Amino acid sequence: MSGLSLKEFFDAVREGHLLAQRCAGCRELAIPPKAFCPSCHGKEWERVELSGKGEIASYTIIRVPPASLAGQAPYAVAVVRMAEGVSLLGRLVDFPLEAIKVGLPVVFTPLIQGDQPLIAFKPS
Amino acid sequence: MAVKNHRHGALNPKAQFQKEITLEQVLKSALIADPLKLYDCCPFSDGAAAVVIASEEVATRTRKPVWVLASAQAGDEMCLHAKRDLSRALATERAAQAAYRQAGLGPQDVDVVELHDCFTIAEIVATEGLGLFEPGTGGIAAEKGWTALGGKVPVNPSGGLKAKGHPIGATGAAQIAELATQLRGEAGPRQVEGARIGLAHTLGGNTATVLVSLFGRDRA
Repeated sequence: MSGLSLKEFFDAVREGHLLAQRCAGCRELAIPPKAFCPSCHGKEWERVELSGKGEIASYTIIRVPPASLAGQAPYAVAVVRMAEGVSLLGRLVDFPLEAIKVGLPVVFTPLIQGDQPLIAFKPS
Repeated sequence: MAVKNHRHGALNPKAQFQKEITLEQVLKSALIADPLKLYDCCPFSDGAAAVVIASEEVATRTRKPVWVLASAQAGDEMCLHAKRDLSRALATERAAQAAYRQAGLGPQDVDVVELHDCFTIAEIVATEGLGLFEPGTGGIAAEKGWTALGGKVPVNPSGGLKAKGHPIGATGAAQIAELATQLRGEAGPRQVEGARIGLAHTLGGNTATVLVSLFGRDRA
């Protein structure tokens, strides 16, 4: 099966599920969904659900936000290394900004803004 | 990095910011996205640049032509989280290696560099990716003044994106224009003395695509 559409991915996020794809050829894991495997350029994917668990690999605190997020700053964005080995960018929520550190364990949680589900992580 | 690029920009009559800044100003400026402060970030600019490319036959009849020695492109994932190593730019490394191979040159042969310093850290990562310095030592090299005018390998004598400005689509052509000016020996007070080989490092999409080109004062 050739995978997962972005709409399906975000519909699952809204429901609290983090879906990824595993390449049928080389077993590379990819998230969010892609047409081609970044490792072997294959197009056959299997759908897998991630545990949602990971740890902060790097982060920043946005002090000057883009216009679409005016009024939300300061807020934190992190690259999270998931337990399954892939990484994913997301907002950090339920963290005092000064408590955020590389290596802290986090767990995926959906963040609904307007009608758009976003990837977020909270302390685990 | 910001202080150095502003010092260079002050010598460039076409730079957006033709004024020097102090380290204290940089460190006291407002946080934009930790740990980057205002002076770590380049502006978005209005600007234009043009490059005339000619056949070898036409070029030899023109005044002081500059020779294209290599031009190589490489790609990488665009999403930050998909980068294999957050501290390196793999597309820069691959494009640079391919360009050096094409020209039969190495990083030690480069006299002057124009690179994509969209943020101060980007200049450090790029100088390492281009092989000018070992991974992890680009910041130290900059602190020692090796990338300033008069240093071992001057980087961004134009002032770079930080001070010359970042007119997005025109930025790459502007880098080549600066290198042509340098290789012709016509850069005035910001001239890199005796520059023979120039390197341009141009990118888009968060290093999803990187182009490294080498230019020579003399024909290869």
